[in-house]
Amino acid sequence: MTHATKAIYKLLLTDYVKVSKVSVEDMLFDEQDINRSMDKIEVLDFHQTVEVNGIKFWCYTAGHVLGAAMFMVDIAGVRVLYTGDYSREEDRHLRAAELPQFSPDICIIESTYGVQLHQPRNIREKRFTDVIHSTISQGGRVLIPAFALGRAQELLLILDEYWSNHPEFHNIPIYYASPLAKKCMAVYQTYILSMNERIRNQFANSNPFKFKHISPLNSIDDFSDVGPSVVMASPGGLQSGLSRQLFDIWCSDKKNACVIPGYVVEGTLAKTIISEPKEVTLMNGLTAPLNMQVHYISFSAHADYAQTSTFLKELMPPNIILVHGESHEMGRLKTKLMTELADCNTKIITPKNCQSVEMYFNSEKMAKTIGRLAEKTPEVGETVSGILVKKGFTYQIMAPDDLHIFSQLSTANITQRITVPYSGAFGVIKYRLEQIYESVESSTDEESGVPTLRVHDRVTLKQDSEKHISMHWTSDPISDMVSDSVVALVLNINREVPKVVVESEAIKSEEESGKKAEKVIHALLVSLFGDVKLGDNGKVVINVDGNVAHLDKQSGDVESENEGLKERVKTAFMRIQRAVKPIPLSAP
Amino acid sequence: MGTSVQVTPLSGVFNENPLSYLVSIDGFNFLIDCGWNDHFDPSLLQPLSKVASTIDAVLLSHPDTLHLGALPYAMKQLGLSAPVFSTEPVYRLGLLTMYDQYLSRRQVSEFDLFTLDDIDSAFQSVTRLTYSQNYHLSGKGEGIVVAPHVAGHLLGGTVWKITKDGEDVIYAVDYNRRKEKHLNGTVLESFVRPAVLITDAYNALHNQPPRQQREMFQDAISKTLRAGGNVLLPVDSAGRVLELLLILEDYWAEHSLNYPIYFLTYVSSSTIDYVKSFLEWMGDSITKSFETSRDNAFLLKHVTLLINKSELDNAPDGPKLVLASMASLEAGFSHDIFVEWASDVKNLVLFTERGQFGTLARMLQADPPPKAVKVTMSRRVPLVGEELIAYEEEQTRLKKEEALKASLVKEEESKASLGPDNNLSGDPMVIDANNANASADVVEPHGGRYRDILIDGFVPPSTSVAPMFPFYENNSEWDDFGEVINPDDYIIKDEDMDQAAMHIGGDDGKLDEGSASLILDAKPSKVVSNELTVQVKCLLIFIDYEGRADGRSIKTILSHVAPLKLVLVHGSAEATEHLKQHCLKHVCPHVYTPQIEETIDVTSDLCAYKVQLSEKLMSNVLFKKLGDYEIAWVDAEVGKTENGMLSLLPISTPAPPHKSVLVGDLKMADLKPFLSSKGIQVEFAGGALRCGEYVTIRKVGPAGQKGGGSGTQQIVIEGPLCEDYYKIRAYLYSQFYLL
Repeated sequence: MTHATKAIYKLLLTDYVKVSKVSVEDMLFDEQDINRSMDKIEVLDFHQTVEVNGIKFWCYTAGHVLGAAMFMVDIAGVRVLYTGDYSREEDRHLRAAELPQFSPDICIIESTYGVQLHQPRNIREKRFTDVIHSTISQGGRVLIPAFALGRAQELLLILDEYWSNHPEFHNIPIYYASPLAKKCMAVYQTYILSMNERIRNQFANSNPFKFKHISPLNSIDDFSDVGPSVVMASPGGLQSGLSRQLFDIWCSDKKNACVIPGYVVEGTLAKTIISEPKEVTLMNGLTAPLNMQVHYISFSAHADYAQTSTFLKELMPPNIILVHGESHEMGRLKTKLMTELADCNTKIITPKNCQSVEMYFNSEKMAKTIGRLAEKTPEVGETVSGILVKKGFTYQIMAPDDLHIFSQLSTANITQRITVPYSGAFGVIKYRLEQIYESVESSTDEESGVPTLRVHDRVTLKQDSEKHISMHWTSDPISDMVSDSVVALVLNINREVPKVVVESEAIKSEEESGKKAEKVIHALLVSLFGDVKLGDNGKVVINVDGNVAHLDKQSGDVESENEGLKERVKTAFMRIQRAVKPIPLSAP
Repeated sequence: MGTSVQVTPLSGVFNENPLSYLVSIDGFNFLIDCGWNDHFDPSLLQPLSKVASTIDAVLLSHPDTLHLGALPYAMKQLGLSAPVFSTEPVYRLGLLTMYDQYLSRRQVSEFDLFTLDDIDSAFQSVTRLTYSQNYHLSGKGEGIVVAPHVAGHLLGGTVWKITKDGEDVIYAVDYNRRKEKHLNGTVLESFVRPAVLITDAYNALHNQPPRQQREMFQDAISKTLRAGGNVLLPVDSAGRVLELLLILEDYWAEHSLNYPIYFLTYVSSSTIDYVKSFLEWMGDSITKSFETSRDNAFLLKHVTLLINKSELDNAPDGPKLVLASMASLEAGFSHDIFVEWASDVKNLVLFTERGQFGTLARMLQADPPPKAVKVTMSRRVPLVGEELIAYEEEQTRLKKEEALKASLVKEEESKASLGPDNNLSGDPMVIDANNANASADVVEPHGGRYRDILIDGFVPPSTSVAPMFPFYENNSEWDDFGEVINPDDYIIKDEDMDQAAMHIGGDDGKLDEGSASLILDAKPSKVVSNELTVQVKCLLIFIDYEGRADGRSIKTILSHVAPLKLVLVHGSAEATEHLKQHCLKHVCPHVYTPQIEETIDVTSDLCAYKVQLSEKLMSNVLFKKLGDYEIAWVDAEVGKTENGMLSLLPISTPAPPHKSVLVGDLKMADLKPFLSSKGIQVEFAGGALRCGEYVTIRKVGPAGQKGGGSGTQQIVIEGPLCEDYYKIRAYLYSQFYLL
């Protein structure tokens, strides 16, 4: 969340814990929990890009309340914009919601106001000040029940400015009677940078949130109700608290006025008095006539239909998900947007709570081949072999030697040296090795002058002493295998010396081994695919759930109607062949 | 091939001159920093003037003179007209620093290199970014992304990252690794293996004394104050001074000292006002304390903000601590105070940063310090007698000329509209509001009278016949008691200090007779200078509070960042050479130290091409996870997609065998506990790890230095043929990925 949001979050929830009247057991969280959560909250500034596991996100101003943000999340190039509550209209202190630089693939957008339209800002401000002006001039009092945060600050700015421009009102006090609003004022006075140019320019002069004509009011006891005044008090619904106390005192005088500045919840007194009933019930249970004037002037900082549709038309997201709105209103908005965006092939979805929306994006994966591997750009048909390194959602292909240059990974060589007890003649080992391996070179060690043997340029044997020979080699699977066989061989000689070895007994004809391999391949294919038959012209016919594939064992080509099966058979065959065929020891 | 990158220093290489570098990326010219020093010598900007008009964008890294001082002059005189990018604090504090510079200079000389208006108009073209904001350039710079990142050192200080096609060019000067009271340390270390890193060698030879300097600092101050002396801290206008203020605040609160602290610059009150709203740019501890207790650290309780020396002179006698601007002591309040206080042995002048080369501060920091220094004391005095008459005649003549010119112009225009512009009439409050809102003008304390001379104050409405003073028609309201009055008009203004700073321009009556007003208003004045020799008897101490990474941590950071190519700038010749040798050995083989106006090409010689990874290939690739990375071996056949891109397809023939690769970074220190957790007795013996009775594991060859050397670790495992050997080998293998 943004810095301002975090500061307000703490104030708001702490206030909630303090005023909530439920018993300790029923409390969902307490102040301790809030403080613990504070440590977990990471803050970010508008436009600051944060990357977590390759997923990037950043936020834009939303214009709903100080610190409000719209988040853009970028997952492997697919962008999702979540607007939250937003407003495209600049007001006295907030910037309008920004138009993101890039069009998102999915836009999750609020639909609170559906297809309704707001009054233009200057008209509603004029209505607001007119009501106050006339009430005050008649010697009446104005009550503005409002939630401590958000619109309250905007209204205070309007009032402070109006008072500055109307010196005749300077002796009429304005109060904001909300301890929470008072605390939040410090936040408003600090995070000026999250607000609009207007405020920032005023700030160059003096802090606009240090009001000149408005003072805080702690409780009704500090308030001397002697003449005309303007009081903004919470809660906004007039359920209880200071706004209700003042309402009860003022409601029967027709000179007074009550301005309801925004959305009110169904079932609260504020909602009731909008329909201007004759009588109201006071907190003490008595009824009193409702003579005071009631005005409903919406200062809501949510987007209306005009804003929503222009916003979407400029962004042109291919997918729109409507959230946060009453279902009928949302339905109307969907229909209207559908007609308006008819020619752009836009998908609009209105999921219900807990209903998940799944979308699939097939983004092309691009890799950058760098370093030695990229010295020459290959032609079509050539092969590229290297290490594919994935970090976040970026891919790079490089040669193993370059790994440490382009990434923080490093490679290692493990040299192994092992001593094996052996007391026979070195020549015997050589003889036996030559029977098994194609290449055995003998030489003498330059330092110690002892004879050495080198098998396939991989494993070196050395006669260290009368009783031991040592072997050393660089680790890799093939060398490890060769060395194991050499060790086994040496141990065998130890045990069986002297023994006459029958030559060529173990060597089978190539034909024979070919047949054996064939069998193994067939058996493995059966175990993998089940129905495997030998077809005519030497091909193998594989039948899986009615899909038939023909496999040419010589070339490895597969023919099949079904692409998926074809690929699977091909890969399987390739791996089987690799396992069955002799290991090419001459590999680089 | 990679992106073409050229670097041309314009100032500030092989010495400590101001910083200014031209970095050209695929033909798009960035001017990174545009500094000047406290001497304001136009010859320093010679190289800049040659290229100023070709520059496409300016990036600023720190809000002090050395990094942005030449911006107004370059914009006005050298034809620089590119958009400027900086963070919000660099913009705002830079602006204030320049005001302070101008006002201090103006006080002692006929300073005419730039005016307050030039400063304003130069800063008007600044685009403000937040940290880690990826700003995509458009037009000529299409495809280039610039992003500022935290540098430490100064509030808003920036490490610039310029990215094109996945290749990073990073510009990092004057960063600080250490977390401070009001700032977080730099994030430079989080960038790994950029294509090019441009950094400074300023501190390469300079190692910070250990932490106890803080006590030294506090001791020195309290000792002097207790002995009845005064302490002068020459500071910058809006940079390091913030840290010092917080340190002093804490110290004063902790020890409940009640000596007064004065912060004296021409812009001190606006500085602190702005800084209070920059919390999101500061360190974690400051933001945290605000979030939990709404306690803004810059609500200074012990510090008095002054914008005028006469206020200091009027302050009660007795020991006091003054932070005054111009760390170089070349001009400004610190200069004047130094001259006054230097001859008293009880006093202390405490430097917290090394003075710029060739300034009074640098002279005084020499070891041993000079016994006496020659200084020029200059004062601005009003003109009197003949001089005044001559001046006035000149002014009348100019005015006449102007009027004549204007009337000629007027005659050509139609006589259609007469009378004052209607916009200006109406509610007088509106006008006040307009004046106050005139954005940056407000901070800039220029008086109404001053406007006539320097900037030609108001633009005469196009409908007026001749230039005239603004005429505010007072359409007064009447009620039963007579004219409605605005009580404000009759209130004797008694606003606090901050207001005074803000309103210098607004209310003419407010300015006192102090010399500041002489600079600002058009009262004819001149500068009188006299040279005098000051006996330096006061105590001089230098304690490093520069907030720059020192030599050791520079080297650590560089070897961690391990750029493919490194460009060293800004630092004395010795420091540059020292760091170059160090880096050649330990960081990377490509280290460049260009001379002024020498263009070096640091285009990466890296070969690269892009391929598409086909779905078919990717479905067969099994990745192995290793830290942040996932790796796999691929064998692929090259194909082409419909739009001509190269793409990688699964290979049709059996893959050619390849040499297997062990990937992983083995640390012996980590291996030991791992093996012992598997029930093997391990101990270090003579550089090798003895496992069990016979087997040893050793690392041989050069220690795994990144960038240099082969980069491959050589590990040897040896032992007799036994079961343990194979067990340990298996454990060793498990530390790596085999590809």
